[in-house]
Amino acid sequence: MADSGQILAGFLAPHPPHLVYGENPVRNEPRSTGGWEMLRWAYEKCRAKIKAWKPDVILVHSPHWMTIVGHHFLRVPHLAGLSVDPIFPHIFRYQYDMNVDVELADACFEETQKEGLVAKKMTNPHFRVDYGTIVSLHMLNPEWDIPILGISANNSPYFYSTEIGQEQMVKLGRATARAIAKTGRRAVLAASNTLSHLHYDREPELIEDMNKEVIFNNSQYQWDMRVLELMRSGHTEQLMAIMPEFMEKAAAEVKSGGLTWMLAAMGFPTTPAQVHGYWTVIGTGNAVVEWDLTHKAA
Amino acid sequence: MPQGSIIGAYIAPGLPHLASDIAAVSWDALRRGFHQAGEHIHALQPDVLVLYSTQWISVLGHSFQTHPNPQGLHVDENWYEMGDFPFDLRVDADLGTRAAAIAASLGLATKTVNYHGFPIDTGTLVALRFVNPANQFPVAVVSCNIYAGQEDSLTLGKAVRQAIAESSKRAVVISCTGLSARFFTDEIAPYNDRLSQTEDDAWNRRILGLIEQGRNAEVLAMSGDYARTAAVDMGFKAFAWLMGTLDTPSSPGAVLAYGPVWGTGAAVVEYQL
Repeated sequence: MADSGQILAGFLAPHPPHLVYGENPVRNEPRSTGGWEMLRWAYEKCRAKIKAWKPDVILVHSPHWMTIVGHHFLRVPHLAGLSVDPIFPHIFRYQYDMNVDVELADACFEETQKEGLVAKKMTNPHFRVDYGTIVSLHMLNPEWDIPILGISANNSPYFYSTEIGQEQMVKLGRATARAIAKTGRRAVLAASNTLSHLHYDREPELIEDMNKEVIFNNSQYQWDMRVLELMRSGHTEQLMAIMPEFMEKAAAEVKSGGLTWMLAAMGFPTTPAQVHGYWTVIGTGNAVVEWDLTHKAA
Repeated sequence: MPQGSIIGAYIAPGLPHLASDIAAVSWDALRRGFHQAGEHIHALQPDVLVLYSTQWISVLGHSFQTHPNPQGLHVDENWYEMGDFPFDLRVDADLGTRAAAIAASLGLATKTVNYHGFPIDTGTLVALRFVNPANQFPVAVVSCNIYAGQEDSLTLGKAVRQAIAESSKRAVVISCTGLSARFFTDEIAPYNDRLSQTEDDAWNRRILGLIEQGRNAEVLAMSGDYARTAAVDMGFKAFAWLMGTLDTPSSPGAVLAYGPVWGTGAAVVEYQL
């Protein structure tokens, strides 16, 4: 199996807990009347493809596991518990239960160190998994029957600069790709990020009132569309070039590194990405986007 | 019914290193300061401890913990090797609910939080481990709204002050915050801990010096510059909250301890009222 691993696909997989809330899965306690269908149906298309591929693992890079010292990898074989979102506790109280690919975690740790980055293995069995990781994984695979590997978002883009942060994420992506190759995994990647991130700070009485769900401003909508057009046309080099400006102008959450990590791990593919859906959540821009690499891997 | 009052006030750090048993000169000094604060609070026998923690972050306005008995086990997301934090809090839900209502009447967006399993933040739990180790005193906890500026933070403190006054309780208020917040981003040996920038150290000492002279209004006026220059934890809005609860007094604060934690500045400061 050594050096035979491959990345099957990468997904931009936004994590607003509203998507889980709108779906009403048994694992989530609060009940809704629906909402945000454009994004939830987009995720349903991804679920079908992932099921068909039968990957060994889904890796997710989450901005809500923000770490100060280095890039961290979940390294506990099994993690379960109740996740109550600290920001949206009224809509997300979710029972999670996940198996972690610890062999891949070890390989990622080693390869990340080889890139000159600080890496750590999270080995505390009482650790509470962040809701960004959980929401993205639930929306991609609600059965939780595929092992996962959670990766933290080192806060270097915020602590130092966008440039330094993105450089680190490129190195992390390269390291991840090598770890997947050497462990022989057939892997799916998920960047748990919204696009534009300016949002409202007051909620409607009915949380899922779609009459109240609009983009925060047209400027950030225009930015989201510009970025999505570059993804759809496979202009990844141009996408990377405008990302710093996008992060600044639209307060884009991709600044936390997930998208850059994923694109780097995939070798900055020029394959046109498929935008499965776009919608707003409390005013932020969210898109479910797929880069299907299976034709390259075949 | 007699009016409630604030009988003590503190600035306290909230990083988990202090709750560990790892020896380091600065951490030991901060622990001693924290224990001293705990002893003084115990002597005061307050009816409630009211905490504001920069590590309980909210974005939809200001949140108030109103679950009467949050229980669980917390692990810090960064320093999970520093130990687990089992908790079993006795929350003064009435005080939190009333403070939220007053804050809302003053124009702030507020939420009360009453959910089983809600995560309690590291800062709150570190502070309580030192100042309320036997879980003797009920607590009320307020979040740090990342979008709030100094004015809103002062208003939030004012709401808490009014709620305490209406409650007829004797309260100690604790602002759980770091000072300069430039962490080392590599692994360090704890015994080598120091302020990551000498300029930050100078700023921290300048601010603490003013607090020791009771020049709290000046500190408020300088908070913007201090926050920008020394990358202060959440813009030092925790101090504004504290001043809101105390109506910006000219009382001096005693610095019980000051030193670095992983490159950041941390202090235990006590206002005797």
